[in-house]
Order: sequence, then structure tokens, then C-alpha cells
Amino acid sequence: MNAAQPGLPAATAPRASLWRTALYKLRRDRAGLLGLAVVVLYLVAAVGAWCGWWAGDWALITGTKWGPVSAQHWFGTNIIGQDIFQRAIYSTGTAFQVGLVVAVLAVGMGAVIGAVGGFFAATWIDEIVLWLMGVLDAIPFYLMVAAIAFALADNPYAMHVAMVSTFWTTTGRLVRGEVIKLRGLEFVEAARAIGVPPVAIIFRHILPNTFHILLVQLTLCFVDAIKAEVVLSFLGLGVKDGMSWGLMISESTLEFLAGHFNNLIVASALLFGLVFAFNMLADALQDALDPKQVA
Amino acid sequence: MVVVRAAVLALLLVLAGCADPAGPAPREAADLDGNASIKTFRYSLDQAPSSLDPVQAANVYANHVVLNAYDTLFAYKYLARPYQLKPNLADGWPEISPDLLVYRIRIKHGVRFQDDPAFAGGKGRELVAADFVYSLKRQFDPKNRPQGAWLWQGRIAGLDDWKAAGSDYDREVPGLRALDRYTIEIRLLRPFPQLLDTLALGFSAVVPREAAEHYGRELGTHPVGSGPFRVVSYDSSRVVFARNTAFRQEPVDLQAEGYDPATQRYTGVERIQGRSPPFVDRLVIDFASDDASRWNSFIKGNEIQVTGVPAEKVDEFLESYDPVQLKPDYARRYQVASGLEAGFVFETFNMDFPEFGYNPDPERERRNKALRCAIIKTFDWEARNQSWYFGLGTVFPGIIVPVVPEFDPQLSRTSVTRDVAGARRLLRENGWTAENLPVLVYGQSAGVKPRMFFEQFRAQLMDIGWPQEKVVLKQYATFGDLGRAWKESRLPIVSKGWGLDYPDAENTLQLFYGPNGSPGSNDANYRNPEYDRLYEKAAVMLPSPERRALYRRMNQMIIDDCVAITGLSRKRIYLWHKNVVALPDREIVGGFFLRYVDVLPEGESARPADLEPAG
Amino acid sequence: MDILQYALRRLLAGLPLLLGVTLFSFTLMVYFGPDKTFELLGKNPTAQEIAEVRHQLGYDRPFVLRYGEYLRELATVDFGNSDSTGERVSSLLARTIPVSLALELPGFVLGNLLGIALALLAAYHRGRWPDKLIMGLSVIGMSISFLVVIFVFQIWFCTSHGLDLFPVRGWGTASLADYLRHVTVPTLAMVFVALGYNTRFYRAVIVEEMGRDHVRTARAFGAAPARLFWRDILKNCAIPVITRIVFTIPAIVIGGALLLETSFGIPGVGKAAYEAIISGDQPVLKAVVGLTTALFVIALLVADILYRAVDPRVSLE
Repeated sequence: MNAAQPGLPAATAPRASLWRTALYKLRRDRAGLLGLAVVVLYLVAAVGAWCGWWAGDWALITGTKWGPVSAQHWFGTNIIGQDIFQRAIYSTGTAFQVGLVVAVLAVGMGAVIGAVGGFFAATWIDEIVLWLMGVLDAIPFYLMVAAIAFALADNPYAMHVAMVSTFWTTTGRLVRGEVIKLRGLEFVEAARAIGVPPVAIIFRHILPNTFHILLVQLTLCFVDAIKAEVVLSFLGLGVKDGMSWGLMISESTLEFLAGHFNNLIVASALLFGLVFAFNMLADALQDALDPKQVA
Repeated sequence: MVVVRAAVLALLLVLAGCADPAGPAPREAADLDGNASIKTFRYSLDQAPSSLDPVQAANVYANHVVLNAYDTLFAYKYLARPYQLKPNLADGWPEISPDLLVYRIRIKHGVRFQDDPAFAGGKGRELVAADFVYSLKRQFDPKNRPQGAWLWQGRIAGLDDWKAAGSDYDREVPGLRALDRYTIEIRLLRPFPQLLDTLALGFSAVVPREAAEHYGRELGTHPVGSGPFRVVSYDSSRVVFARNTAFRQEPVDLQAEGYDPATQRYTGVERIQGRSPPFVDRLVIDFASDDASRWNSFIKGNEIQVTGVPAEKVDEFLESYDPVQLKPDYARRYQVASGLEAGFVFETFNMDFPEFGYNPDPERERRNKALRCAIIKTFDWEARNQSWYFGLGTVFPGIIVPVVPEFDPQLSRTSVTRDVAGARRLLRENGWTAENLPVLVYGQSAGVKPRMFFEQFRAQLMDIGWPQEKVVLKQYATFGDLGRAWKESRLPIVSKGWGLDYPDAENTLQLFYGPNGSPGSNDANYRNPEYDRLYEKAAVMLPSPERRALYRRMNQMIIDDCVAITGLSRKRIYLWHKNVVALPDREIVGGFFLRYVDVLPEGESARPADLEPAG
Repeated sequence: MDILQYALRRLLAGLPLLLGVTLFSFTLMVYFGPDKTFELLGKNPTAQEIAEVRHQLGYDRPFVLRYGEYLRELATVDFGNSDSTGERVSSLLARTIPVSLALELPGFVLGNLLGIALALLAAYHRGRWPDKLIMGLSVIGMSISFLVVIFVFQIWFCTSHGLDLFPVRGWGTASLADYLRHVTVPTLAMVFVALGYNTRFYRAVIVEEMGRDHVRTARAFGAAPARLFWRDILKNCAIPVITRIVFTIPAIVIGGALLLETSFGIPGVGKAAYEAIISGDQPVLKAVVGLTTALFVIALLVADILYRAVDPRVSLE
């Protein structure tokens, strides 16, 4: 409860203990471990889909229109006779691809820009960083994403770019705040005093000390990305090639009237499972890595 | 605390400032529910028109509004099928010179525009011949962003020059003049047998100059016409009309409207015989792109009264498809009618792409043709029809659609019959393998349905050994961008639907006329001198067996050259509450039937007693 | 009148932000936005007609001129007519913004009030079963896609597959009954989705506040829990709460609730703005972007002033 007390000597040693404690706490957090297990399960499904081990027939027409649940089609078939289960599993791969790409890039970008801003706080560099974040935050999310998606026309990564360019500011603000705190600490002062260049200080001494923030942000960002994918694909701005849960959910709008809900049920159940697992994992990480609770 | 209060106050002011100007729409909407003394008819469409200005009335959605707010010289008969023209604002048929070049059209006396602040004193004045002349000129004034000029371009003497000279409305056009208050003269450069059909389109509806000048661009949201209804409010979710109380008295003569008691008596339209439309006080059209919500609104009973039956509901509702008949339960509550759309859906190859179209190398061009023919063979129209139209659509070979008189039911169906073995053989014999097959880019608009069309197409191509990664979808988020890709000839395969502007096969045959190549409507960029020669010959001919023969020869060329995967006409099924007296039809221009709709009190049936279902 | 002076200074400081947002969104939405030309053309256009329409739309002019034009429009608050319908942009906004406000305010208020109530309950029972239950439910709520919520609610409340109680789509404010009929299901969907996030957020804020020294001291001295909540905790939670609420407002006014509005066929500003984007209706886009930014700057200012009102220690400097 009393970590960030000014004057506390914070070098690498306390950090290491933070990670040790965190690991210990994580291991005892049953909900978090369950979340992790579920995420790993999804990841296996995704990797299998990437490598073509399963769900390879997702594009083929293998049944009749709106075929019922059967041994061959576990969740029936869609309006043109494709296997809904295979499509849903294949979409797991898409979800991980979108989630990972967006989370890594957005958090990475937020970390670097936020750290630069924090390190140079109260200079014009920081002003620009703040301005940039303000500008991006001021534009309503869907308008922004739609605009980027259109500007990049049919680029398959338009959606990713759009999400990264809006998601990074959250991490950016957090890291900036943390860096302002770190900047005043002894080991940074020391590095400065012996003339280590700013870039090296930021990357070697400061950023590693924000990893606990970045880790939590990665999981949160992943969740945001796959949830946004669903909406964007529904709006026609999302996945261009391949298959995704969002596309399946929007496909299900063609079937409500006829009383077929298989696409909706399977896709939203899988989506819910992954998001829920990630949310639990994120909570566990947050608890485990909260420096206030370490000491 | 003062500060807090001030700040909160400021915040409230900001919000209130935004919230203050409550539009008239909600208040008008009040009458939609309840108020029994007002007779309201609620119709629905699957898309909103973007503009109500006649010069931009390019689709059925806009025409549903324009044809009811404005007047056109001619119109389609309410009940005659196939469609037939009748004079509307025109006073009888025109005098046409023997060489088919000069049309003299008289208009009715005493027709008045609706009252509007645009007029001096706010009182609508009489509609005169000069108003029509002015309205057609507007199509040739770029400032209005017109979309219908192509219909008359190069056809009316002096009109193109008038535009080239700067579209000055005070300058006279030699081929388009008002001879007196009630007489219009149109002089053509060459015969144009479809001229009168074009004068039934919303594009040629009559706009008063005062309103066009007063509202400027806002005419698009604020129609001022002389039609049976007056627009009260309009936004992207609904348009509300009130009856135009000053609309001219024109008692309905069912015989003249093409009434066929044998097939149409069930609609109860005999009730409107001898009465003057419009029959309802308020006409509301809801625009809802989502089938499900339109449908739910319909079956509620107190919301929209007419809808198309979504394909997904067909099985649940219909006892039989041909003739279309409701299950008894539903027949007690609803009326049903069906008709083929006046148009079709089809895909064309863009012949400008050397991978499978025209190629400088004659050998490659021969192989390309085999490739196209193989794709046509593997295309499964039956699956398309079953998946998306519940097997109700009519699949036909070629580009002459079933609703026009020139349609040939005897034509060979080879080009619309799936033949996977034949397609594989064609590919093999012409040296096509999985390695050298070209990448097919399938361009589509955004949305889940076009995407599923693509998936179906890709799966069918995979059946003849086309690699999955060589069939690529390119979705355009907006119709504008898709349109640009078409018009700039950037899409190898163009998938589109075409709605007829008038019931004449010429309207679809022009889709493959060489000079109409991109950016024109010939998206296939098909260039066949023989075809073009026949087209030019037929275009100036009045309907005749000779013209029909020419049309059919052209149709065969399209089939033989494997230019297009074609086609299917969808069947529309209309369902309406039994207290509505109407025969709904959205085809051809769109919405011309609305003025004839009458609504009986809740619970009553328009159907004659002897036709009521038993029980 | 230091408040006024301060406000003016802050507004002035908002100028770079305004410029940044407008330049950014102008470049993206307008300059690289969808091409409207081909939507405005007839079925058989000639090259000359294409050029005419492009000229009408101003596409043939250089970037700088077009951006300058935009700034002038911003300054005079006159954006002309919509490229789609020809309607005045100002009347379009005046028509759609009140609809969005009326649609979202109930859900927004309820979502926040319920969120705070649940958060207080959870924080008060911190670590015991009510807390765990509430937190568990809110994670579940956060994990369900908004889109799925809308579809399921729509099927459930508005169709014969479920309760069939409310209209599937449409909007009406003619009478209170009419309004309630149309606003209920969207509001439920909104509250459902927002509740998870709100509860967690407010709980975190409250828990943090409860951990502070002065609260612990008060507790140790036996201050009654209710009084404690009202006097100390809620008051001190005000800053994060105000921030959250104030910064949501521009998004509500302008961003609208795109998904709600499209799914329920409600003619609000979110739908209008989105339609403007996908159809490339630049005058509308320009107005929406300008208005959003202006509101954002005002929200910054309001939040600042409110901070100061709540907590005198925050100085206006």
C-alpha cells in the first residue's frame, strides 16, 4: 500500500522481487489460471487453423442449405451449405491474428511514444506527444476507424492500422505517467549523470521498468481488438479475406427470420469464451503486478 | 458552489442549445398511431432515397417519392401487365410526325402546384408547358448534379448545345419548346421509340422554377410538385406525405387501367372505381434496409401494412409457389401477390482484362474464351436461386429478361446449366492448369450478402480445380467507390443487378453496346462491330417482329461469346394487410400504384366475400 | 472574473487541438475519403460528365485550398448543403442531435447511477461474496459483444421469437408513451453493456479512496459508514467520476450510438455521420468533425472548472 513513496531507492532489485511475487500470486489465483488455460486452448485451436491441421474445409460447400446439427456438421451448415463449426474454428485463428498484431503494435507504440513524452516532460517534445494523443482521442472511435479503413481502401490491414492508431494512446498515457515518476529516481539520475544518451536510458533503463503496465495493457488491448473486430466486420470495415466471428455474426442477420441462430450462437459463444478468459487473466495479472500490493 | 452551479448551467446550455430545434417529424409521427379520423397508409422500402430532386431520381426508392409528389407527362397503368403507358399530365396521346421526329404533347389545364412559400403569396400556381421544358433542361445543367441526362443525350435537337453554352435557362432549345401555355414540342435528331417511356420516369417530373430557385440544392429534401401527395417530412428512416387536397379530379376507370377481373378481383380494387385518388390522408413510407425489422414491423399489425416477403419466410407462409398462395392461417389476415422483377442479376467479365478477355495474341484470346465458358459452366444458378431466392427466381439464358415482350422462352438453357465435367474438360483441352489459371478478383459492394455470393462462387470454382487463393474478394465500402472501379474499368468481374428503366429489351441490350464502354454502362467493355451495327439499327425501330428478331440475334451473340454469366430475375412477393385495397408493385419506375391505395377500417377485408378463405 | 479569464485562456489553448483534429480528420475523411462522384452520376456517364461532377464536388482543387475552405467554414459555422440530399448541414444536425440525446441520455444516466450503486455495494462488502458476485457479473457483462447484446435483445423483446413487447425499429417522441416504447430496448442494451465497465471503474475509484489515510482514520474513530460514504468517499471520488462523465458527453452528442441507431432505425447523428462517411458526404463530415472537436475542447474546460469546484486544492493555474 505504500510503494511509490518518494525517496524509496528503486533499482532493479525491487523490480525482480515484484516479478517473483507476481508469479507467486498468479499461481495461487485460480480464476486467473483458469483464464490462462482457456486462452491456451484457444491458442492451440488458432495455431491448428493457421497450420491447416483442422478447419481446412471452411471455404468449401460440404452440405445443404441450413443443414441440421449432425455428426458430420457439428453445428449445422450455413445458408450456402458451409460447415459452421469449421468456420468458427478457422475464425479463432483470425481472432488471434487480429488480437496479437493490434495488441503488440499498439502497446509497443504507446510504450515508446509515452516513454519519450514522459522522459522529456515539460519540453516541446512532450507537448507534441500530448497534442497527438489529444487529437486522436478527440475523434469518435468508429468515425476514426471508418475513416482510416476508407482511406486505406482495400488494404487487408486497414482495420489493424485503424485500431492501432486509436488504441495506443491509452498505453501511451499510462507509460508517460509512470516514466515521469521513474525519471526522478536515483538509477535514472545516475545514468544521466554519467552521460548515457537519452535513447539508451529510455530503452535500457526506463522501459523495462514499465513492463508490468505493458503486460496488462497487452491483454486488455487484445480483448478490445477482437471485440472491435466483430463490430467493424459487421459494418463491413473489418476482415477482408478469410473468416471471422464478426463476419459470422453479421452473416447470422441473414438467418434470424428463418429461425436459424447457429452462426450467432457459435460465433458469439466462442467470442465470449475468449474475451472472458482474457478478462480474467488480465484481472489476475493486474492484481499480481500491482506494485501497491507488493510490499 | 457558485462555480459549480455556473459550470453545470453552462453545460446544460450547451446541451440545450443542441437539443432545442425539435424538427416537425416527431409531431407528424404522432398521427401515425391512434388518430382514427385520419386515414393512414404505411408502406415500406428496403432502402432510403438519397435525394428527392427529380433530376436525381435514379432508382426505385427516389421514384417512390418523386412520382407521388410530382407529376410526369405519362405514367404506367395501375393494373395492366405487361406494363402499358397512359397519359398522365399529358392530355391524351401526343401528335407524332410520320418520320417519328417531332412530338407535340398537350398537357391538362388547371393543374396546380402545391402551396409553398416559394411561390408569390405562398399559393401554388398553375402548371404550364414551360414548366416541363424547364424541368427537362435541369437535367442538362451540371449545377443540379443530374443523373438522367443520358436518356436524352444526343437525341433532342439543341439540348446538348444548350448545355455546352452554359445552361442558361432563358435561352431557348430548338428541340424542346413550349408552343403555348399547354403545348410542348419535342424535336428529335433521330427516332427514339422509347421517348414516351422516358417521360414516365421521375427524371422528367415537372418542377416549378420558383421552387428550384428558392430552395436550390435543398429541393432534394423539400419537394414542391403537383402530385397526389405533398411531402410533410423526410429523413433517412421515413418519408411522410399528406394528401394534396388540390390534386385534380381524375376518377379511376378500371377498364382503362387494365383491370383483369379474373386475376385481380381478389384485391378489391373495384371499390375505387369512379373515385378520384388519392384515397388516404397520409402516406408513410418507412425505409428499413433490414429484412427482419421490416418484417417484424409488418406482422405487428399496427405498423407497416405492405412488405415484400423475405426469402427466409417464404416456406413458412406459402402453401404453394406457383401460383403463389398463402397458408390458410395467413390468408385470413393477409393478401398476397407476386411478380417477376423488371430486371435481373448477372455477372460480366470485363473483356479489357487480357488474362481472360481480349488479348493481342489470338491464340490466347481463344484460350481465354474457353476459360470464360468454363467459368460459366461451373456457375451454379440453381444453387444461387435456392440459397438466396428460395428457388422462386427465374433463371434464363442471355440478357433479354422475362418481363419484356421480346423474351424467348425457347432459348437453349445450356448456358445456365451447371456442367462441372464439361467445364473441367474445357479447361484441360485448352491447356489450363491450377498453375497457370489467372487470379480472379471479384469486386463487390460491402455487406454480408455480397460476401456470401463470393463465397459461393469461389466454392463452385474450387469444384473445377481453381485454387482457393486464386479467387479473391475485393469489397468496396461504398457504392461510389465500387462504381468508380466499374467505370474506370478496374474490376475483372462485375457483379451487378440491373433494373429496367422501361419495359423494352433495348434497355438491357445497350449494356453491351461498344460505344457504351467504360465509363458507360457497358462494364463488360464488350466490343463487337456486328453487335453494335445491329443495336444501332434496332434502336430507331418501333416494336415489330423484325426488331424482335434483331434483339434475339444480339442476345445469342452475348451467349455465344461467353461474355456474361447471366441471369436471374427475382420474384417479388408482396404481402399486405387485408384491409388495404391495393395491388402493390415496385417495378419499372416504382411507386406509381401508391395513389390508388385505399385503406378500410381495421378488421374489414378488401377481398370480395366470395373469395374469402373458408373458416 | 478569474474564471472567465481562465476559461478564455483554456479555450485559446484548445486551438492547436482544434487545428490538429481538423487537419487530421480532413486529410483522412475528406481528402482520402470515398469518392462520391460515381454515386452522383447517371447510368451511362460520359468522361465530361464525370469531370463536371468532380468539379461540382470540388475534388479538382488542391489540398491547401480545400483545407483553407474548411477552416473558413469552421470559423463561420456554415458548412453548406449535404452532398447526398442537398439538405442544409445545420438543419441536418439540428434534426439528428436531439434524437441521439434523447436516445442515449436515459441509458447513460441509468448506466452510471446503477454502476455507482453497485460499485458502492461491492466496495462496502469488499472481498466478501456480494463483491465477488458483482465483480464476476461485471466481467461477464464486459465480455459480451455489444452487437450480440443488441441482436439478442431485439430478438427477445421485439419479435415473436421472444416477448414481442416493443417495436423493432423506429423512433417517436410524440408522447411520453411513444417515447418509452421506442427508447426502452435500446436503453436496456446500453445499460447492460455499460454496466460492467462502469461498476468496475467506480469500484476501483471507491476502493482506492477507502484506502486513504483520512478515511481509515475516520473509520478507526468510529464514523458511521453512511456518513463516511457521503461526506468523504463520494466527494473525493468526484474527480475521476466527473472526468469519465464529462468526456463521454462529446461522444454521445456527436458519435451517437451508431450501432443502436442503425439496428433500431433511429435517425440520430451517429447514423447520419456514419452514412456521411460511407457515402463521402463531405459537408456533413466536416461539420461533424468540427463540432466534435469543439465539444471536446469545451469538455476539457468544463472538467477543469468542475475539478476546481469540487476540490479547491486544484488551482486554476
